[in-house]
Amino acid sequence: MSIVEQFTPLFAPKTVAVIGASTKGNALPNVFIRRIREFGFSGDIYPIHPAAAEIDGLTAYKSLADTPKPVDYAYIAVSGAQIPGMLAAAKGHVRFAQVISSGFGEVDEGKGLQDELVQAAKAGGMRLLGPNCLGIYTPRGRVTFAEIGPKETGPVGIVSQSGGLGTDIIRRGLSRGLKFSGLVTVGNCADVTPSDLLEFYLADPQTRVIGMYIETAKDGRRLFDILRKARASKPVVILKGGRTQQGLAAAASHTGSLAGDDRVWVALARQTGCMLVDTLDHFIDTLLIFQTLSPRPQRPTRKVVLFGNGGGTSVLATDYFSRLDLDVTPFDQGPIDALAALKLPPGTSITNPVDCPVGTLQQDDGRVAEKILDIICGQGKPEALVMHLNLSAFVGRTKPEVLDNLVAAAMRVQEKYPGQSHFILVLRSDGEPALEARKREFRDKAVALGVPVYDEMANAGHPLAALASFERYRAARGG
Amino acid sequence: MIKNQVDTVVSAAKAAGRNALDESAGKALLADYGIRVPQSRVAKGVADVDAVMQGLQVPVVVKVMSPDILHKSDAGGVKINLRSATEVKAAIEDMLAAPKIKGARIEGFLVEEMAPSGHELVIGGLRDPQFGPLVMVGLGGIFVEIFKDVSFRLCPIARIDAEEMLDELKAAAILKGARGGKPASREAIIEVLLKMGGEDGLLLKHAADISEADINPLIVSETGAVAVDARFILG
Repeated sequence: MSIVEQFTPLFAPKTVAVIGASTKGNALPNVFIRRIREFGFSGDIYPIHPAAAEIDGLTAYKSLADTPKPVDYAYIAVSGAQIPGMLAAAKGHVRFAQVISSGFGEVDEGKGLQDELVQAAKAGGMRLLGPNCLGIYTPRGRVTFAEIGPKETGPVGIVSQSGGLGTDIIRRGLSRGLKFSGLVTVGNCADVTPSDLLEFYLADPQTRVIGMYIETAKDGRRLFDILRKARASKPVVILKGGRTQQGLAAAASHTGSLAGDDRVWVALARQTGCMLVDTLDHFIDTLLIFQTLSPRPQRPTRKVVLFGNGGGTSVLATDYFSRLDLDVTPFDQGPIDALAALKLPPGTSITNPVDCPVGTLQQDDGRVAEKILDIICGQGKPEALVMHLNLSAFVGRTKPEVLDNLVAAAMRVQEKYPGQSHFILVLRSDGEPALEARKREFRDKAVALGVPVYDEMANAGHPLAALASFERYRAARGG
Repeated sequence: MIKNQVDTVVSAAKAAGRNALDESAGKALLADYGIRVPQSRVAKGVADVDAVMQGLQVPVVVKVMSPDILHKSDAGGVKINLRSATEVKAAIEDMLAAPKIKGARIEGFLVEEMAPSGHELVIGGLRDPQFGPLVMVGLGGIFVEIFKDVSFRLCPIARIDAEEMLDELKAAAILKGARGGKPASREAIIEVLLKMGGEDGLLLKHAADISEADINPLIVSETGAVAVDARFILG
């Protein structure tokens, strides 16, 4: 069976069993039942309960072995000690069991219970997710543990060792326009590990970019082997929590004493082309750029043009980008002459960065910008174009449609020079509620058009540098 | 030396309850993987020196061999630049009188040709509990000790990984001959890295037995690289 087939019952279950739902309807598993119904799950739901005949209007069954059809996915949230017996009783009737409950390997006194759990899952003939996690979010299967999340299936596949962070990724991702092919929280990874899910996402045709939150990689060697074999066929972004110190205390050699902190993770990234990030924001920013833009290994990104309003912002961004090994150097004479011929108002800088005050940008309802962008792309030929708009400066000075016109102009120029420059939008604002609302609406439109949108220049710099490094990796390794 | 004999060296050390290979066994292991080591012979004591010196080019270095001494230089167990059998004998007598050597179990003295001058590098290995063998490279001395300017990769490495390891060292320009220095043979360093950390390299082949390794220094001239000292921690 292929890896995709193996995991299909998890990502698109036809039957879901729920252990821990109460007849009073107020336990976490009751909430789970309600959520998947609201999310549009159309398969059978089997509450498992020792006594009740019915829960939340659904027929209840006494054991995992008693359901009318085999169970693709079982959601289990009852006190830990009862669970091994329940799993062992399933007798090959369950494909995936996710144990939400805690009190297992994450605490010393639970280590024995976790071993029992693993043995029971094996005896019951199922794969085990967790324990100590929150659940799965799989839009293709209409199953979710989260309160909110897009219903649409997208290209971003996530595995998270933390449940809470998994929720953050869905919620913040939603507001940034991320669309997921799935998100699995794996907690203690007693059986299924991040490496297993990495293998699935690499093979899954729905998934184009993979994000992993990892605290410990017990099967680090396997993670390395999978990534190495994949040859960066899909971008993999790793948010690593906790730094490994194992072996350091005992180190007797130079090499041993130098190997500390995260050198092994840096090595993994350099060797396999996966990308390491340090914060949740960088993680989401980087996933977003790979969701929206197609890596271009045949012409790796280095030359970047900045275009927008805000002189100081342009200068700071030029410095910041160059520290990230991105090149914001002035144009050659050709594009400069062409831009000068437009006779833009004073205060407009036409080298690179191209700094246009609002007055210039709103000329002719934003259509002057199209001429500028045409010259930038057609003659400046950057590998990436970052357009930044300080929304605060537009307030009260322009018609609302100027912003739309600017982005529409940029999109037309993009179509005229296909594959020429990655296009990134930075929408800067000052936190004023009305402006934020406007920005949000605008951001949704842009992301839907395939344009990644960032809050500040620095936020755009990191993902762009990650995209560049991914392209360079593929270029250097013939891919 | 054929591989079986080297494996015997490793298993003999383990059987003897050692937690490390002695220097000559370590170098035999390196030589078996095609890494150049200086010509050397073992003298049991001063009586052997005349015979041992036959066929070795001076200058030579003498190093004490003892399972009790891990840091030979600190113990006074290394004498360099010796130009005759007489000088070698005097060096051994000095060592036998040194406070940190006197009481130790002495297995002999390694008499070894001195490597030609060149850049000093460190190439190492380490078995990570989660990821398995890693290989490391850095420039010797202050670059490793103070700046920790080293680069790690997981084994096995390919040629392109070895190239990138060298390129990411802050001191990379020094190896290329910055400030009027002579360049180090990049090809020679890459070869040693591959012989240590490559697909058929020493670190992967002996992953079960070797927990840490240091070639320190690897002397790299414009034309080649010689492993002048090597330490392998078993376990």
